[in-house]
Amino acid sequence: MNPIYTSRARNDKIVRFLCLFAAAFGLMWLGLILFTLFWNGLAGLNFSVFTEMTPPPGSKTGGLANAIFGSLIMTVIGVGIGAPIGLFAGTYLAEYGRHEKLSNYVRFINDILLSAPSIVIGLFIYGAVVVPMGGFSGLAGSLALAVIVIPVVVRTTEDMLLLVPNQLREAASALGLPRSHVIRSIAYKAARTGIVTGILLATARVAGETAPLLFTALSNQFWNADLMKSMANLPVTINNFVQSPYEYWRQLAWTGALIITLAVLALNIVARMLDAERKKK
Amino acid sequence: MTDLQVMTAVNGDRAAPSRDRHVTLEVRDLDFFYGEAKALKNISLDLERHSVTAFIGPSGCGKSTLLRIFNRMYDLYPGQRAEGQVLLEGENILDPKLDLNLLRARVGMVFQKPTPFPMTIYENIAFGIKLYENLSKSELDGRVEHALRGAALWNEVKDKLNASGLSLSGGQQQRLCIARTVAIQPEVILFDEPCSALDPISTAKIEELIDELKAKYTIAIVTHNMQQAARVSEYTAFMYLGELVEFGETTRIFTTPEKRQTQDYITGRFG
Repeated sequence: MNPIYTSRARNDKIVRFLCLFAAAFGLMWLGLILFTLFWNGLAGLNFSVFTEMTPPPGSKTGGLANAIFGSLIMTVIGVGIGAPIGLFAGTYLAEYGRHEKLSNYVRFINDILLSAPSIVIGLFIYGAVVVPMGGFSGLAGSLALAVIVIPVVVRTTEDMLLLVPNQLREAASALGLPRSHVIRSIAYKAARTGIVTGILLATARVAGETAPLLFTALSNQFWNADLMKSMANLPVTINNFVQSPYEYWRQLAWTGALIITLAVLALNIVARMLDAERKKK
Repeated sequence: MTDLQVMTAVNGDRAAPSRDRHVTLEVRDLDFFYGEAKALKNISLDLERHSVTAFIGPSGCGKSTLLRIFNRMYDLYPGQRAEGQVLLEGENILDPKLDLNLLRARVGMVFQKPTPFPMTIYENIAFGIKLYENLSKSELDGRVEHALRGAALWNEVKDKLNASGLSLSGGQQQRLCIARTVAIQPEVILFDEPCSALDPISTAKIEELIDELKAKYTIAIVTHNMQQAARVSEYTAFMYLGELVEFGETTRIFTTPEKRQTQDYITGRFG
């Protein structure tokens, strides 16, 4: 056979093997992480985890009820504040401000915010909210999460709206629709699943954030639904418990980690399914 | 149309006052700019009421640009501006104070690519009607059916009005877009290469439809297809490099063009 062809075929085999190996190597770690989580977390997973409060030092009973509740509340409020702001800002970038200079600056700053370390955002909220308000609070935690949600939603909203063909906007305008109506009933409608997917992914992202909550919501050993007081949450509880000398606390930390992972996994799967739905259309 | 009117059009007496001829749209000394670049140069012509005017010419000659002035589509984009006059029933539509949405309700447009909205077939039609009128469900149903019949689509979709508009074939989608435009009862319908994405059978259906629509509407169509222009239009405008080279009755333009460039283009010597 032609020697050039032989060497090409050989190179192809080598590169293909390297690619496969790299993919398998990366996936292996993900598999190991999931395996470890299930192995260590499942042992402590029972009904009382969801009904009992986080235990005091040395206790042999207790659960994560207050931490799960706090995480849920702060994630919902954080996304509730961040998603609409992100949605409007993304709409500005893709629709009203598409030809404006301001959009470039907004986009640039948004990209910086998108890659800002989350601990910096936590510090910012500490200085801007916790100190003036005189203490840690669930509200401060929610705001920190909202600041993380905003740039993610801005980016996905803009990207998804830009995928809507301009001809559709022209066609709607040609019927005499005002601009706001074109965006609301045509562009949003066409981009809906993509935008929802973005919000779900942002939710998944903040559900597991620890750093921005460390010095905003702090933690709380007791049940607390008051947003003005420090609030328990899963990531910080895990962070505290895993470093403790108490066997029972460390077990709870594993279980908490498993719960977060499963929740995030579920959100991601829903987002993927929506995305697949979008691509089918 | 009387012979006299034909004569007037043929002789290119474009500045004649509109009351003598049944003119819907008068274009006077129109210039158009994309930023600094001048895309249309001193265009003057009339669109005769209830007839079809075709715009032909090589790519980039400005025919689509001209069409998009008639409903101020260019206003969606910054840096584009028109100078001169375009009178719709005597009213200058280039007036900056004009309500664009009302203008676009009077001047409908069908695009090159079919653009059904991401909603059901029924909603695609009802959507536009609901913008302007508050109708009961049964009245709305009637109007939707009427519009779909008007676009020769009713028989094909009457059993699946709740299916997505995107589920139709290309030709059906284009007729859906025509139905949508007709549903809000405009005075003028602009067609921007409506058949260039369609197969020959769908094209024939659209052409038949255009022929029927001119009974009620004033129609302007941009086309790359000279045979199409010859088939569907009463008047033809040949444009080249932003200028209106020749304008007149279609049969005359295609048989005895006055200008050398027109003749070269329609005989396929360039373009």
